[in-house]
Amino acid sequence: MPTPILQVKDLHTEFLTDGGVVKAVDGVSFDLYPGESIGIVGESGSGKSITALSILRLVPDPGRVVSGQVLFHDQDLLQLGGEEIREIRGRDIAMIFQDPQSSLNPVLRTGFQIDEAMLAHNKANRKQARQRTVELLRRVRIPAPETRVKDFPHQLSGGMRQRAMIAMGLANAPSILIADEPTTALDVTVQAQILELLADLNRDLGTAIVMITHNMGVVAGLCSRVLVMYAGEIVEQGPVEQIFEHPQHPYTWSLLRSIPRVDALRHERLRSIEGLAPDLLHPPAGCRFHPRCPFRVEKCFTDEPRLQEVAPDQLAACWVTMERARKEMGADDLIDIRPGAGSGLRKGELTE
Amino acid sequence: MLNRGTLIYISQRLVLIVFTVFAVSSVVFLGIHRLPGDALFNEHLHGTQYQLLLHHYGLDRPLWDQYTSFLTGLFLHGNLGESLVNRGVPITPLVLRELTVSAEVGLFALLFTIGLGMLLGVVAAIRQNTWVDYLLSTTSVIGYSMPSFVIATFLLLFFAVWLDNFTQGTFYFQIGWTGRFGTIGEIWLPAFALGFPYASIVARLTRASMLEVIRQDYIRTARAKGLRETVIMARHALRNALIPVITILGPLVIGIITGGVIIENIFGIPGLGKEFANSILNRDYNIVIGVFTMYAAMVGLANLGVDLLYVVIDPRIRY
Amino acid sequence: MATSVSFPVPGPGPAPVVGTAGLSAPVQASLWSDAWRRLRRNRMALISAVYLVILVAVALVALVHTPYSYREVGVARPYSGPSWANWLGADILGRDVLSRLMVGAQISLIVGVGTQVFVVAVGVPIGLLAGYYKGTVDSVVSFIINVFYGIPDLLVAMILLLLLGPSLNNIIIAIVATRWMDMTRLVRGQTLALREREFIEAARSSGAKPAKILFGHILPNSLGPIIVQATFGVPAAILFEAFLSFLGIGVQPPTPSWGSMAADGLAAIRIAPHMVIAPSIALSLTLMAFNFLGDGLRDALDPRQKR
Repeated sequence: MPTPILQVKDLHTEFLTDGGVVKAVDGVSFDLYPGESIGIVGESGSGKSITALSILRLVPDPGRVVSGQVLFHDQDLLQLGGEEIREIRGRDIAMIFQDPQSSLNPVLRTGFQIDEAMLAHNKANRKQARQRTVELLRRVRIPAPETRVKDFPHQLSGGMRQRAMIAMGLANAPSILIADEPTTALDVTVQAQILELLADLNRDLGTAIVMITHNMGVVAGLCSRVLVMYAGEIVEQGPVEQIFEHPQHPYTWSLLRSIPRVDALRHERLRSIEGLAPDLLHPPAGCRFHPRCPFRVEKCFTDEPRLQEVAPDQLAACWVTMERARKEMGADDLIDIRPGAGSGLRKGELTE
Repeated sequence: MLNRGTLIYISQRLVLIVFTVFAVSSVVFLGIHRLPGDALFNEHLHGTQYQLLLHHYGLDRPLWDQYTSFLTGLFLHGNLGESLVNRGVPITPLVLRELTVSAEVGLFALLFTIGLGMLLGVVAAIRQNTWVDYLLSTTSVIGYSMPSFVIATFLLLFFAVWLDNFTQGTFYFQIGWTGRFGTIGEIWLPAFALGFPYASIVARLTRASMLEVIRQDYIRTARAKGLRETVIMARHALRNALIPVITILGPLVIGIITGGVIIENIFGIPGLGKEFANSILNRDYNIVIGVFTMYAAMVGLANLGVDLLYVVIDPRIRY
Repeated sequence: MATSVSFPVPGPGPAPVVGTAGLSAPVQASLWSDAWRRLRRNRMALISAVYLVILVAVALVALVHTPYSYREVGVARPYSGPSWANWLGADILGRDVLSRLMVGAQISLIVGVGTQVFVVAVGVPIGLLAGYYKGTVDSVVSFIINVFYGIPDLLVAMILLLLLGPSLNNIIIAIVATRWMDMTRLVRGQTLALREREFIEAARSSGAKPAKILFGHILPNSLGPIIVQATFGVPAAILFEAFLSFLGIGVQPPTPSWGSMAADGLAAIRIAPHMVIAPSIALSLTLMAFNFLGDGLRDALDPRQKR
């Protein structure tokens, strides 16, 4: 077993708001191995982006990482001084963001913004940096990179901007690339190209990738392992195929069902998860998913489940787990799910 | 930056400026020449002497004649005529010399306004909700409520009266300037008085726009690639924060031009503003027309300059 | 001057519709009582309001009584400093500075409030028409507004006073002529925004006449921003008058104006600094009070626009 390059241990990140303390990340732990690619999946507000930002200590005000460890090469990033963490950012761990339109500075030339990533870490002089920028842009398949470096961000298309962002992330050949919903703002064909590009980079350069997304489909194509987050906690984790085949947490199960499928019956409605995302100011007692869970039992209202092994390499935090839900509550027959033990609309009970 | 579209835009604007100068000078010329009484009248001259002077200035000709010769003089020869009070003094060179003086003071004031204003605004934004911020938001109202001549007065009281032994009369307003151009020592006080009310406006605006900018995604990107905080503020934040500030540059330039009329009078600066006020008091209509024409051209050019600045600061804007 | 502060124009491009945000719903009584409650919580605005009430009282008292006549010379030794007999000292002709300051307050208030009355009378109808009829009317009005914004207002006012001759009435005319467009632009923007709202649509489709819509619906709903704008306009006008009088082309002697008093005092700054300090402080405090009150009113009438 190789040693992980990044270990996140019991991370807690809170936001102090007028209404009280919001526990955006509440005890998240995971390991990342060299060259590996993991996905962190969850709805908006599940804490997945804040987890990623916490690693590089980029959490916006009024957020604070209150406890936990982020070990990178045996040093705790959360304990580093301002200058030390600055040196890690972009050099060893790079991050790319959701909206390339707003994530690139509109008044600076694209090429310069990539040069800058190298210049900030004294990796190259200006001329070398520019040469490498052109190479990088070619690497991320931007046509005519020699002229594109002089373009301003608004002169590039959305897909090209995200490629430029990726080039910026790769500038210092980091060992980890954190991608925070890199495809959400793009249209579908471009999404596929960007994902393919990231997969190639992961394979060819050996850059470990942490992919943050709300889309299970994105994870399927790129990642070997997946962590599912709900309300600031990891509710399930394991190898991608295994999770896709045999999800054990009802939340993972319903997330997978919400992926649109070509072979779906025409009269089937797109399944979405019933109920509202939890209010993190006043999280529900017991299992945080229980208000929306179709398979909840009495215990779920009071006791909080811990992550435990449900299959080899697969952990889930659930009192019921899907195995039991299938057997006892007829989960596979549900086409429209409602909160409550196995409730919802079943096959044969058509609406309209 | 200077592509074809921009050049066309500039030339269109220049044509517009020429037209404005024509319109403004015409209105003032025709308006003033309907007035009874002029500089010559005040001197109680009689008989042939008066007639000779009227003839000298062409005032005995029909208004239309005077108007056309004024326009041909102005647009073909750049000739604004001759002072009615100081006879034989041609106005164009006089006004041009005074323009350089006013421009010197005005540019210093502008530099000061923008420099200090943006500095305070940036500090207040970075230190949001600290005492620095609160102090600034209160003093900025005080700042723009203090007319420039009141500030000038207190500066004079302080430096020229109470610290007279120390400043050796450098700032005493009745002495005026020693040379053709002001020295730094002479110029900073009037520039400060002229710019201060606007500096607080610029500070307020910079603070607001800076607060907006540092929340933007590209600032987070800059942090994520490991840039130093100073570089992020100077290179990534400030430049974007400048864009809304430029919008008030136009009114600001006009404010500094008009404020200059007062400041030049207080500090005895031999510029356009002092000339304008004096010639209005002396009813030297030719100079009033000349100086006002000059002002119209300056305001037009300044506004054009501001519009071109947008292109320099914000690459998304093209004309 | 200060008017350019009241509604800073954010971002490049054409001037946006200003100050429409909060008051676009139909007028309700609660709006005004809410605003009043918010205003009372704003300490600076409250202090300013108290100061202004005192100032108005002083100006009214000066109508019937001043310690000395403002024009009586030699009531004290020329240039003599503050004393029990002359609280703020005497000026170059031995006139009582306090008495002149009190009469100067009348001038400032008359000019400040007077111009805003005319600015409202001129600016509001033009703005309403331009915003309501859009099209050609609006284009013409907008063009004229932009022309006026492009000229140095003080210099034009100086020339106007040269043409008209200096008098209190002409000063007011000159200021209105060069500053009317702030109000017009505001009301035009308000009208443009409001005319698209449902309750205006409803009134129009039920056959209400334009005059009824403009003065019965749009104007009452624009009242808040108009009040704020007018409040900011008062100090701007007072400052304008002080500028003109300071240069000697405003209020003519022997009538005192804070501006001309400051100019007189500046000439004697070495021997009698009190002559310039008194009107300067009175002027600054008054401008400050109106600006703080304007800030307070803006925040009170439109909390969402608070900066």
